[in-house]
Amino acid sequence: MSTPRLRVSVFDYEAGNLHSLVKSIETEFTTVRVERDPAAAVRDTDALILPGVGAFTPAAERLASGRDAMRDALLGGLPCLGICLGMQLLFDHSDEGPGQGLSVLTGRVTRLDAQRVPQIGWNTLEPTAPLDPLLVQSGLDTVYYANSFVCRPTGESGRHVIAYTTHEGDRFPAAVRVGNVVGAQFHPEKSSAPGVRFVRAFLREAVHIAAQRGTLGSSATEDVTP
Amino acid sequence: MLTRRVIVCLDVKGARVVKGVQFVGLRDVGDPVALATRYEAEGADEITFLDISASAEERATLLDVARRTAEQLFIPLTIGGGVRTADDVARALRAGADKVSLNSAAVTRPEVLTEAADRFGAQCVVASIDAKRGEGGAWKVWVKGGREETPLEAVAWAQECVARGAGEILLTSIDRDGARTGYDLDLTRAVADAVNVPVIASGGAGEARHLVDAVTEGHADAVLVAGILHDGLTTVAALKDVMRAAGLPVRALPELVA
Repeated sequence: MSTPRLRVSVFDYEAGNLHSLVKSIETEFTTVRVERDPAAAVRDTDALILPGVGAFTPAAERLASGRDAMRDALLGGLPCLGICLGMQLLFDHSDEGPGQGLSVLTGRVTRLDAQRVPQIGWNTLEPTAPLDPLLVQSGLDTVYYANSFVCRPTGESGRHVIAYTTHEGDRFPAAVRVGNVVGAQFHPEKSSAPGVRFVRAFLREAVHIAAQRGTLGSSATEDVTP
Repeated sequence: MLTRRVIVCLDVKGARVVKGVQFVGLRDVGDPVALATRYEAEGADEITFLDISASAEERATLLDVARRTAEQLFIPLTIGGGVRTADDVARALRAGADKVSLNSAAVTRPEVLTEAADRFGAQCVVASIDAKRGEGGAWKVWVKGGREETPLEAVAWAQECVARGAGEILLTSIDRDGARTGYDLDLTRAVADAVNVPVIASGGAGEARHLVDAVTEGHADAVLVAGILHDGLTTVAALKDVMRAAGLPVRALPELVA
């Protein structure tokens, strides 16, 4: 029997290029599948990736049929990495357009308050204390952004910001973590070697979580408990 | 604070990089995938493939090249050249581009910028503008690879491109292209001050100081470099050292082991 691998599902909103992202999560210890159905994306998996290309409304529409299942899975401890739009989907609503996010974090997505929008390019992270293990392990400090909108956590959610970035005068959450759910407003898969290390560190964390839960690499049939 | 980007442009025809690229010790000197990843390792902040294909066959090949590149490149990739419709943009993005630049097609039919931005977001739509100083001093927009003049004035056209959905302007001075005498700072500044999206200065880079000038005097957000790198006259790392020494924020070279 081969070593169990981490099952990683990527929820595809069919909005764009997943090549670099999929490549960054294809490792010797993962099996990756791309799912267009949101409920299927959280079934029989050890980690969920919400990719970063597209607009809020069409993505929320794609999400709608499986939103509750996905939200339950994330609140139940399924490791998730949401990138850019994928991070925004962790919140409630967006000024970009109508649609219901996952509301794993409370808050709204609003337009960057800056002259030059979209923010395109490499910007620096301002981590909060204590430093998140993913930032420690990756050594990530300058990251690639291509965004017009950012998340504005409200209430308790503000405590889940693990790094900020400032564009012109607007300081916004660069990354959040709530339990096993991580959001990155930047594109780690486009942030060169340290960005790839950030993704891999998330995956290794997911391996530990899956091993603890005893689900690592288990198949659908093995999941059925009497 | 946003760093100033150094973008490396490769002219690609079918599956090959054309124009002499003089890296030493690279097995396949003309392979776009190998060159793009090599420039990433040197510290390039982005790669642009300019598709100079002459046939549909070559164009289809380039999309395959983009796919293979995206699987190995972990910095943004822009594809430009021959992109005419929002469906072309879709194909390039699906193949692996993060951004797509439109040039002549936007002049012929400006609506294409809006169509692309509505479908994929402004952040992946780059308006590529080739400008040349005309009689009376105003910069005119040229199309068809700089062979055909249009009545459009470059600064006003840049503003229209942004109004129609472009998230970035790639601004090339035809007067300076290949001359290595420095970017057209007046042109760059005129456009950069007139729009609220990032402007990439292109055409004329001959030495590191020119990149610094494009940012400090030309107000460019990013600089595009090609010939001086391909000819082995300098490296991305050396260019960035000079920019850093001039006080510009630039991304440090990451350690390579992933």
